[in-house]
Amino acid sequence: MAYGQTQILRGIDVALPGGQTLALLGPSGCGKTTLLRLVAGLLAPTSGEIRIDGQMVAGPGLFLPPEKRGLGMVFQDYALWPHLTVAGNVAFPLEMAGVGRAERETRVAAALDRVGLAAMADRSPSALSGGQQQRVAIARAIVGEPRIVLFDEPLSNLDRELRETMVAELGALIRGLGLTAIYVTHDQSEALTLADQVAVMEAGQIAQLSAPEDLVEHPASPKVAEFLRLGAVLPLVRDGQGWSLGGRPFGALGGPDFARAEVLITPRALLLAEAGSATLTGEVMAVQYRDTGYAVTVRLEAPGAAPAQTVQISSDTRMRVGERVGLNIISERLRWFPARPEPTFAKE
Amino acid sequence: MLKFTLRAGVAATALFGAGAALADVTVYTAGPAKLIEDLAAGFTAETGVAVEVFQATTGKVMARIEAEAANPVVDVLISASWDTATDFAERGWLVPYTSPNAEMVPDFLKTETAVAQGVSALAIAWNPNSGTPKPTDWADLAKPEYKDLVNLPDPAQSGSAFELVAALSGTEGMGLFDDLAANGAIVAGANAEALNPVLQGAKAAVFGAVDYISMAGAAKGETIEVIFPESGTVIAPRPVMILNWSQNQDEAKQFVDYILSDAGQAMVAKTFLMPARSDIAADRPLIADLNILPVDAEAVYAKRAETLDAFATTFAK
Amino acid sequence: MARAREGVSPSVIIAAAGLVLVVAVPFLFIILQAIFPELGRGSLAAPFSALAGALGDPKLIGMTGNTLLLGVLVVALSALIAVPLAVARALFKVPGAVIWDVLFLIPFMIPPYIAVLGWIMTLQPRGYLEQLVGFNLATFLFSVPGIVFVMTLNSFPVVYFAVSRTLETVGSRYADVGRVFGASPARAFWRITLPLSTPGLAASLLLVFAMAIEEYGTPAALGGRAGFEVLVTAIDLRVSDWPIDLPGAAILSLVLVVLSFGAFVLQRWILTRRSYEATTGKPQDSAKRDLGVWKLPVVAGFALVAFVATGLPLLAILASALSRTISGGLVWSNLGFSNFSAILGDSTGALKALGTSLSLGVAAALVTGLLGALSAYAVVKSKVRGRGVLDVLTILPNALPGIVVAVGLILAWNQPWLPVTPYNTSLILLLAYCCILLPQPVRYATAAFHQIGDNLEAAARVFGASPMVAFRRILLPLIAPSLLAAMLLVFAVATRELVASVVVAPVGVSTISTYIWRQFEQGSVGLGMAMAFVTILITTALPLIALSLMGRRGNLL
Repeated sequence: MAYGQTQILRGIDVALPGGQTLALLGPSGCGKTTLLRLVAGLLAPTSGEIRIDGQMVAGPGLFLPPEKRGLGMVFQDYALWPHLTVAGNVAFPLEMAGVGRAERETRVAAALDRVGLAAMADRSPSALSGGQQQRVAIARAIVGEPRIVLFDEPLSNLDRELRETMVAELGALIRGLGLTAIYVTHDQSEALTLADQVAVMEAGQIAQLSAPEDLVEHPASPKVAEFLRLGAVLPLVRDGQGWSLGGRPFGALGGPDFARAEVLITPRALLLAEAGSATLTGEVMAVQYRDTGYAVTVRLEAPGAAPAQTVQISSDTRMRVGERVGLNIISERLRWFPARPEPTFAKE
Repeated sequence: MLKFTLRAGVAATALFGAGAALADVTVYTAGPAKLIEDLAAGFTAETGVAVEVFQATTGKVMARIEAEAANPVVDVLISASWDTATDFAERGWLVPYTSPNAEMVPDFLKTETAVAQGVSALAIAWNPNSGTPKPTDWADLAKPEYKDLVNLPDPAQSGSAFELVAALSGTEGMGLFDDLAANGAIVAGANAEALNPVLQGAKAAVFGAVDYISMAGAAKGETIEVIFPESGTVIAPRPVMILNWSQNQDEAKQFVDYILSDAGQAMVAKTFLMPARSDIAADRPLIADLNILPVDAEAVYAKRAETLDAFATTFAK
Repeated sequence: MARAREGVSPSVIIAAAGLVLVVAVPFLFIILQAIFPELGRGSLAAPFSALAGALGDPKLIGMTGNTLLLGVLVVALSALIAVPLAVARALFKVPGAVIWDVLFLIPFMIPPYIAVLGWIMTLQPRGYLEQLVGFNLATFLFSVPGIVFVMTLNSFPVVYFAVSRTLETVGSRYADVGRVFGASPARAFWRITLPLSTPGLAASLLLVFAMAIEEYGTPAALGGRAGFEVLVTAIDLRVSDWPIDLPGAAILSLVLVVLSFGAFVLQRWILTRRSYEATTGKPQDSAKRDLGVWKLPVVAGFALVAFVATGLPLLAILASALSRTISGGLVWSNLGFSNFSAILGDSTGALKALGTSLSLGVAAALVTGLLGALSAYAVVKSKVRGRGVLDVLTILPNALPGIVVAVGLILAWNQPWLPVTPYNTSLILLLAYCCILLPQPVRYATAAFHQIGDNLEAAARVFGASPMVAFRRILLPLIAPSLLAAMLLVFAVATRELVASVVVAPVGVSTISTYIWRQFEQGSVGLGMAMAFVTILITTALPLIALSLMGRRGNLL
């Protein structure tokens, strides 16, 4: 798939078993929405194949338009038709499928009931709140019992609290209906909560495709770790005594037998310590109160790691911003990667 | 939406039906509208042959014939300017035909390929309520009593007005027109546009009004008087021609015959045009009653651009 | 290379085919006529031989200059009158706002040739003005300022409606933000509100310019005495004066097209210099302010403009229509309904002409509405290559004088080798009206499409609608309010179109305008004016009834 001279997507090879949810996770511009629109048939691939239920919908010399693919979709901007009522919006897919009036009415009512909007059927979409509109969009996407439901950043226009509620609701809905779904988002918690499989995308490629727990435990690359904000990634060089960071010795941490490597330090691999004696030092950048204590953002003093690497650790005591802290490393909780070619920081 | 399309479909069908593309005789005419309607109705009643009419000014009729030249449809053309008959004959576009009914049409109103339907004359159309003395001759309108109160039809837009200008300037040069211009007379569009201000009283008189229009107006109660100047005027015979590309020449000839029949000529007289046949009575002065200025059409039209330029210069001062 | 969507949607194909049929074909034949003088006779002899003559005309520069001058002056005066009224209407509570809207709509419905005749009969010596109050304004009327005045009264509503609509959308909220940051009300208006209404202003001024340089009736009737010749009058002379000079007329029309295209490019340039994306909200009536002490002066201003632009011409038309004779003047004994009863009695073919024009008006509104919507869709929403060409085709008719469209249509459709042709059926009139009036629905539909998110269509496709179904069920209803307004305008203008009708009317068919024009030619001014008055009533009332019916049903206008 390419636009003009620039390739947008390449080397994508994903298979999604029925009844599962695939999340496409990545920063904006990574191609995740393009991939979704390819599946939807709103874009046509230059090469490659797309199959749904074993039926080829796009491939060499073949292109099935969106209306022939039997899909449901939830859009980022909801895309509710303002001239139709809530019920009119939800009924549309059934109407297109040629479902008779009586059955249509029952199914629309059922779908609206499922999203808790049965009372709003005759309203105009513009009279609803953002969360309600999104529920209508979801009802519209599921009413036709489509083969796949596509979600295009469906919650990104909602505020945080509502988003968290909706993630839970969506999860229950998807599992309850046994939907096959593709869910595009740039929010890792949504992806990790909802998906059976998460594809982390970067620059038009899939950087990693794993189950959520694998993704957290075993990120495939420092880029994935960085994107998932799992912790700090530091470039280390092996010398006589072990590893060092920008000339500062780190001691023997184990790790692979490379001359240079990158290491992911998650909060779970760190212990707070005295600044003088610790392996790592850092400066407190921000302190937030959370239910379980204080979440402290620490910028590591790590020469050679650019941009500045931060980790978030929890502390029972409130720390001052600007305070220097020491951190000890639990070496068995580190995760090692071969060093990326210079420069060590990402372009984005 | 279904209803929407359906209605459009019905409208389109209705439109198709409205314009019968192939009429039995197609007539293009410069008017008057009422006359051609009556003639067409009368002809159809008598012969059963349908007549389809396109009516506009002579200029627009000519523009249409010119644009249609690749695939012409007109069978019979009635122009308001005899010049058309001369020009079309030279181009070889006309069918020679002498109607048996044309016997009583004077020789100067017919050629091998054209015959007059009726004749108008140019005159002074004067509003008696204008507070001006009744004019009797062209030159009167250059008098101070008529200062700023005289309209002239534009000779560039009216063939007959051109012939009048040519005839009057031919004998006496542009002197009369210089005087008129100096007296505040203005050139005011085509015939109807020149007459309208006189009816309302903005102007007192039209210099060179087409007589039958004013007479029809007077008959309807307009305060307007048609005065034929003593020194003479020009006439504008309206030629009827059959085009050589006509597929319906027999019917076309029948139609010409009908125009020149007693009934047809009576209709002409009813519009206050002078009938072409000298034996038809009309409620207005006839050619024999008028003093006609000599116009050598060939010479005059050869100098048309020149004359129009001189006229325009005179009134641009 | 990428394909956007699955190739070309049927709506785009229909739009392209329609535009080719309605606009490109006649325009192509005008160009061919300009190049090949003998085209009318089916010959391609002596190409380019007419160019030197027509472009070498020493009067050409003067006429072009006059045309430009007229266009610019009408644009300037229209803006001067319309913008303050539009601002008051959009941002403040003007008493009787809807009434003023209706009154400003009527000048659209008055045929320009009737309006100018009404003005002549009112302002000339012994005209209605002098008969009533004792003085006349003939010197003013028959001058360049007079022409500009009459033409402005006909065209300022375009600016009024466009600017008030845009301003209503922008509302006061951005200006309020400006005031929070220290701008005085006046500065906030000049620096924020007015610039934000630039799209509506620029588009409407472009349309006024195109209308002004293409208008025939007014400069012909008033400019002759002032020696003021413009391109359109010269074009008309070339197609009316024997020997007919079609190539000359075609070449001068192309000059006109160039002028209009220049204005179009200028407008595009103004609009692309900055972003006006903010204007996507909905009209907010609630945000309107009270006029305070300005209430009386503002209402007086509205009343004055409505009286001069709508009241006076209507009264003049009515006065002539009620007069038994023109020379009788405005005295009771001369007034009566004889002209109206002549029309209703149909002794003169008036009702048939009314029927023909009204059905043509409806058909033209439907065709241009559909074609306009599809074309605007192709230009705004599709990613089709060559949609720029479609865009140009939709605005081209703005620059073509009606008479030239008529000649182009005859040249195109009267070719002997055509197996079937609309020529000499009423369809040719329909084609002419569609060509001349297509820019209106396109303009409205384009603006509407710009405000519709792309996903609304995508959603319909995903949920099983084919491209045509998505267009019909989703996009068309969404642009319907705007489109309907444009279609009503098309209906009104098509119903009374004169210049093209006179030339292409099929044999035996008469329209309202050709009927009126014939009455004038025969000196029956009163009968013509009575017909004009009836037409204005019908073309104003029908759309208003249609609108109010729709208004009750939903959310239109």
